[in-house]
Amino acid sequence: MADYIKEIYSAVLKYDIDLVKKRVEEAVGSGEDPLKMMNEALSTAIKEIGDKFGREEIFLVELMIAAKACKAGMEIVKKNLLDNKMKVKKSKGILVMGTVKGDLHNIGKDIVKTLLETTGFEVHDIGVDQPAENFVRKAVEVKARMIGSSALLTTTSPYQREIEKKLVEAGLKGEVKTIIGGAATNVGWSKEIGADFYSSTATGGVDIIKKYFEGVRNEG
Amino acid sequence: MRAKLKVLNKEELDSIYQTALDILEKIGTNIEDDEIIKLLKDNGCKVGDNKIVYIPEKVIEKCLKTVPKGKINIAGRDPSKDMIVGGHQKYPYFMSHVLMNYYDELNNNYRVITKEDMKKFITISDYMDTINGVWMCTLMPDFNKMYSFYEYELAIKNTTKPVGISSFEPDSIPPAYELAEIMVGGKEELKKRPLTVAFCEVSPLTWNKYGCDMLKATAKWGIQPVITVEAPMGDTGPATFAGNIAQKIAELLSGLVIVQLLQEGLPVFFVVPWETFDMRTAQICLASRPDYVYGCAVGQIEDYLDIPFFSPVSPDSKLLDMQEAYELSFSLLPRILSENKAIVIHGLDQTHAINNELLVMMDEMILSGKRMIDGIEVNKKTLAFDALKEVASEMDGGRRNGHFLNHKHTLEWFTKEWIPRRDSVIDKYRREKWIEVGSKTFLQRAHEKVEEILANHKPEPISKEIEGKIEKIYKKFNIPEV
Repeated sequence: MADYIKEIYSAVLKYDIDLVKKRVEEAVGSGEDPLKMMNEALSTAIKEIGDKFGREEIFLVELMIAAKACKAGMEIVKKNLLDNKMKVKKSKGILVMGTVKGDLHNIGKDIVKTLLETTGFEVHDIGVDQPAENFVRKAVEVKARMIGSSALLTTTSPYQREIEKKLVEAGLKGEVKTIIGGAATNVGWSKEIGADFYSSTATGGVDIIKKYFEGVRNEG
Repeated sequence: MRAKLKVLNKEELDSIYQTALDILEKIGTNIEDDEIIKLLKDNGCKVGDNKIVYIPEKVIEKCLKTVPKGKINIAGRDPSKDMIVGGHQKYPYFMSHVLMNYYDELNNNYRVITKEDMKKFITISDYMDTINGVWMCTLMPDFNKMYSFYEYELAIKNTTKPVGISSFEPDSIPPAYELAEIMVGGKEELKKRPLTVAFCEVSPLTWNKYGCDMLKATAKWGIQPVITVEAPMGDTGPATFAGNIAQKIAELLSGLVIVQLLQEGLPVFFVVPWETFDMRTAQICLASRPDYVYGCAVGQIEDYLDIPFFSPVSPDSKLLDMQEAYELSFSLLPRILSENKAIVIHGLDQTHAINNELLVMMDEMILSGKRMIDGIEVNKKTLAFDALKEVASEMDGGRRNGHFLNHKHTLEWFTKEWIPRRDSVIDKYRREKWIEVGSKTFLQRAHEKVEEILANHKPEPISKEIEGKIEKIYKKFNIPEV
């Protein structure tokens, strides 16, 4: 492993955002391969951090900060690729995510989004307090294959059913998959409304999404 | 600010202490040993009928001055792990206690303790950073009236942490003493890091022949005596807290005076369990409501006397059930918050049984208690104004959407503030996840942790040289192998 790869990688594992940015900038300035930085340093580091979190060897805040550091590094790499008119690697999948109407909770959604973005997914976050039609409209606009919605209140979870209805009306049910989560949801609710996937935890949701898109890629 | 529970004011403490002095001077102590009676008489005490000795205040004050302060040292194999009581370190220390029986709740098996049970329990205690030392008192039949020696040997072989023993048989003291000498590296070193032995006075106000022999033995050998008093409320001690504390202080001080007159300058400390005579069942119980009240005061009493108290936490529950959790919590927490110098944790069943999984529970409780007493740190960084300013500045669509989960302030502080355990066995999963990982009870998770510790933690072995010296002790004192 080249020294600059090792340095970027170890800066992520130290949860040091500023150091990651510094190392990536130095490597870019020295003319090192930006794609290697992305694939061999940043992605490898965040995968290792994610695995550690999965094994309960590190805490969520460590995972989140490592992800933030990776994201900051990737921004620099992407800018460099675009500046040099090099092609940015195709994303592993496109998703729309948001919190349903009447609900302002965003943390679980943000965890899922951050973890997906740092592992190569294109996530369109429409924010909190979003009506069902906005999820579907955005999915059509960005050609997303999945909509993720979060609801933490029992008063707002019915809006997840609305998303399913809007997808049926648009003729997209099945083509665009849905995943739901949040404190007000459970397996029973996901089945009742016809959601394709459900997860009780943010990291569990990320695993489900990754597995689904892996299957899609293998199919075609 | 560090917490410190206080339930007695200066006037009340003075009043209790003055009553203890009055008890010693006016009611007197029954002493079943002529040699000690003569010693007390020669040093200014009055002797009455029936071997009752009246100790005046001036003798007590003199002896309190000769007791070393800040030098109590419970020693083990590793000097860096010694429990040094005195000075400014944080209290309490915590010791696990090996007892007569082992209760295996998972297999519904209650048995007389075996050497294998002891080794496992001590190994887990050696592993846990919340446990500072081990106390031994098993009365295992195979140890046949040489309990202290066998127990001491077994303990020091399985932990490098401090070890205390409770002696019931004078014959085992000489070999145990030699063992301690080998462990610390010679006679001179043993003076600095002495062998510690607990024994009991008899309430009310009596030093029987056995107790007197123990007092003389500790003075002769330079063993650090741990004077224990047991005056259950309503039984051999008053049913009132103030009176019971005063009696206990008088009894403890009578032992301290005898020790100092026998061997001036010998360190002394006290073990003070709080027992209640349960009027419903006619049983002497420890972790009852009165014990919780005493727990609130123990730190103040030992500070007042400037002599450390080791206090047992000892649930009456027969099972690892809700009663056990209740009794443990209520007995333990006030002691921690009153900054008791050292807490000795018994297992269950009225000091009769131990259990490995219980150590896992204790580990969590101790960690929480220690964090509680550490209080709340207030400074520019912990006030987090700058961090909040940054988080609050993050906007999305005209709404604040920042949080602390990915902020370096959280990373820097949350482990210091919360002391989270990465490998905690306390369940915090959402129900679905809890079911997914096996719907396990606390006991099952604690058992897995115990198995993991026993599979991976090997206490540092003693050297071949010391092993050889121990063999010589066996031969010298003609001690049978058990």
